[in-house]
Parts: sequence; C-alpha cells; structure tokens
Amino acid sequence: MRIGTSVFLTPVALALITLAGAAQAQTAGDSAFSFSGFGTLGLVKSSSDTGKYALYSQPRGADTSVTGEVDSKLGLQVTARANAMFSGTVQVLTKQDGKGKFTPGLEWAFVKAQVSPNLALRLGRMGGPFFAVSDFRDVGYANTWLRPPQDVYGQVPVSHIDGADASFQTTLGSATVTAQLYGGKSSSYVTGVKIELDKVLGVNATAEFDGGVTLRFGHVNSKLTAHSTTLATIVGALRNPQLAAFSPRFAALGNELDGTDKTATFTGIGASYDQGDWLANFEYTQRRTDSYVSDTNGWYVTLGHRFGKFTPYLTLSKLKVADANAVNDIPAPTPQLAGLKGAVNLVLAGQATDQKTTGVGLRWDAYRNIAIKAQYERIQPKTQGLFLVPVNGTVVGNVNVYSIAVDTVF
Amino acid sequence: MSIKHLISLNARALRLALGVTLGVSALAAQAQVAVIVNSKSPTASMTADQVATIFLGKSNVLPSGAAAAATDLPDGSAVRDQFYSKVTGKQGPQVKAAWSRLVFSGKATPPKELASAAEVKKFVAANPDAIGYIEKSAVDGSVKVVLSVD
Repeated sequence: MRIGTSVFLTPVALALITLAGAAQAQTAGDSAFSFSGFGTLGLVKSSSDTGKYALYSQPRGADTSVTGEVDSKLGLQVTARANAMFSGTVQVLTKQDGKGKFTPGLEWAFVKAQVSPNLALRLGRMGGPFFAVSDFRDVGYANTWLRPPQDVYGQVPVSHIDGADASFQTTLGSATVTAQLYGGKSSSYVTGVKIELDKVLGVNATAEFDGGVTLRFGHVNSKLTAHSTTLATIVGALRNPQLAAFSPRFAALGNELDGTDKTATFTGIGASYDQGDWLANFEYTQRRTDSYVSDTNGWYVTLGHRFGKFTPYLTLSKLKVADANAVNDIPAPTPQLAGLKGAVNLVLAGQATDQKTTGVGLRWDAYRNIAIKAQYERIQPKTQGLFLVPVNGTVVGNVNVYSIAVDTVF
Repeated sequence: MSIKHLISLNARALRLALGVTLGVSALAAQAQVAVIVNSKSPTASMTADQVATIFLGKSNVLPSGAAAAATDLPDGSAVRDQFYSKVTGKQGPQVKAAWSRLVFSGKATPPKELASAAEVKKFVAANPDAIGYIEKSAVDGSVKVVLSVD
C-alpha cells in the first residue's frame, strides 16, 4: 500500500460502515450493490534505447522492445447504496505504480452524502480533480485517445487525495454548472521517491452547455515534500556553514532546491466539444512550486471525427519549463565542490522536461464494450523530456512511439 | 454496416435535417418507442432533451423534482439502440463511453438494466419515480407514456 496504515484505515473503515449499512438496505428488497470495472491491455514500443517511455511516475518504460507494462491496467469498483442519501464507493486499481510494481492500490474509498439533488458531500479517499479527465484518465474506454496527453497529464504524479469535498450543481440558463471544493492530503511514489502533498485545497468548476460544449477551470494549492535522500544530502551539503565563507550562493541554492513543505500549485483551463461526429479537446495547465520541482506550462489540443465505428484523431501538445526555480551558479574551485555542482546539475536535468508531441491515432469501437486503439506519436524532447534516462544520459533526441491497446468496461 | 444501421443513421440525419423530434412518418418501417413513467406520476409529457438528460446521466431529476429511477433494456437490444439514437442522438459506444466517464468518476450509476419490456413495465408500475422505455406496442394501462419516438 502506498500510504501509512493509519491514513489507509480511515477511508476503508468509512466505506465498510457504508457497505454494512447497505447490506441491511438490501434485505429491504432494493439492489444495493453495483459492481463495475475497466481494463486495458496495451503494448508500446519506441524508436529509442537512450530514453524509456513511461507514464506519470513509472520507473520502467518502453524502448525498442515491446512492453505491456506501461498501459496495461485493471480497475474494479463497487458502490453500495445505504439509502437515497448515503452511498460508499471503493475502487481498486492495478497498474505499474511509482515503485514499478503491479500491486493493487486503493484508488478510492469514500462515502458520499447526496444532501439534496444539487449538493453532494464526500469523505475519504477520492480522485483529485486536477485535470479535465482526472477521475477517468485510466479508463481507456471512456477516452478517445489511447492515453491522456503526457505533456499535460505527466505534470502531476498524484491521482487521489485523502480528505473531503463538496460538489454543488445547478442550471444557469442552458448550462449545467458544477462547482467542487476539496481539501485533504496525498502521497505517491515517483520513480521510487515518495512525494507528499499536504494542506491540499482546491476548486474545480465545469459548465456543460447545450450543443456539446464543456468548459472547465481548476486550481489547487498544496505543500509539497519530496522524501529523497539524494536531494536531502545535496541540500545539506550546500547549506554547510563552512561553504558560506566562499559564496552566499551555496546556502541560497540549497534553499532553492529544498523540497520540504514547499508551496506547490496547479492551475488548468479546459474546453471540450462532442456533438454529432466531431469531437475536440483542449487543456492549458500551469504547475508552480517553490522547490527543485520545475515550473511548467503544458497544453494539448485534440481533434477527432467519427466515421461510424471508427474515430481517427490528431493531438498536438507541448510541455515547457517556465522556470527551473534554481540557478546552479555556485563556484567549483575544488574537486569536491565540482562534484557537488555536478550533483546539482543532475537534479536540475531531471526537471528539464521540455518536449513537444505530435500524435495521430484511431479508435475502433469493435464490440459493445470493447474499443481497440492504435496511436503513433512523434516526441521531440529538448533534452530528456519526460523520458527515463540513465544517470548522465540527458539528451534523447526525437523519438517515435507506437502503441496499441484494447480497452473494456464492464 | 448493416441495413438496419444504415436506416437508423438515415433516420437520425433526417430528423436533424427536419429539425423535429416527433412525428416523422417517413420512418414507419421501425417500431415506435415509448418513454413511460408511473401512472400516478404528475408528469404528463417530457421533451426528448429532458429524457436524454436523465439517460445520459447529466441530471437525475424528473420534471416533478423527484430523483429519477431510470431503467434500461439489455445492451444490444434493438429497442435500446433505437431509443438512444433517436432521443439522445448518440450511438451505443458513445452512450457507454459517456456513462463510463460518470461511473468511474463516482458521480452517477447507470440506469438499472432489466431483461424485457414486461419487467420494465412491472418496475415502472411499482415505483412512483421510475422512468423507462419500451416498444410502443407493449404499452398498457399499468404505465403512462410521456414521449413517443418513431
């Protein structure tokens, strides 16, 4: 399990209490449980052996040999209804996680109170609504693409929060407007390093108009902590009081890189169109932190057209580092200090994720609940982009990525 | 592509072209579908948009203000395909994708699937806030029709 036992127990206990209540309701004759699931069997290979293609925070990715470890996943979900107001939902998701394992993870475990037709409250573990398709980004069948564009979705490794939210839905003219306020905390592993987000507080608003247009705005604030011993060693060395005599930049750089309880925000706008045979999606997002984690801007635009059961689509996307947040200008007069400077360079290189992508794909609705997809992407990283690279291997060059997947929901 | 599918696509195109939802007599070749509610429901009639809103999970509220208990016919049934195509303007996979977005964001549960028109009628007759659809020829006095589509 990805988090400590005490945090884990709370949402599970809540969900179990609801399940028990729902079981009683079931004896009254109403069907109280609904089971559903989703799965993807995906294969991917790339044209590069210098950088591996992986998602979100996976430590293992695709190179010139085919792998099923990047996209394949299975999600199982059960919702139990205690009565008209209270329900509980648990979702277990199995995919390659940030530790490189296929350990089933508790993605959601929340109780929901539908206080009125317009107002819902939730408590427990729930999806973090950081993007337009946050909650169902792993549900391949629900999306046109084979996977969400990584130039945007690769910026935030955390997918759920432990906390509470309130959703208010109303009709304004011809639009259905939903406003969600949420708070809590979260943690995740990014290529083996534990990342914690505390004091998460966010808002997510969508407006769905007649005619197939949906608009979205989201903003979230948090305090970020990276539990990296490598980073802590480097920051500790930079803050060594003896170095202050050489230059005040050592301690200053240590503060710039420090990843302990630092402010991190994520803001996004989105628009989508889905009516008749045409569909289009757009998102623009900004990640900002006061730590070694770089400030980035990411966007994509997707255009697709349905021809019966076939939907070809085109996606253009870009991830740009707006600010590295740290300047490695410390003097290096000795081999030891040169080593320190080199270590800082490695940290910063890992955050230089600039890349742009051109992708084309085809979704084929082959059967009632099965979609088959093929996708080709040409990724142009400035240095290493979002690719996994070995230490000191920082320039990847242009990469072609070929993917096929079978998506199902049940 | 089957003949039936072609007819259904043509029907939709024609409906859109004419800008009408009801009473297109040119499509008499297909069975009529009736949207039904409980006979004691205060709702006398509903528009296709109102029905689509409920069956696509955009809202769960009936015109009466009550939370709807919606029912589906089995996946793959011709009446179900015709209902969604005519009333929502969406084909099966689009409807399923739309519902999977709602289900897997914990926002809504899809209509309760029942095996036959007889079961839908039984459910609707027994539940004051129920809404379902069946072929019009199966309608009887136990339920009330709020919308007919050709």
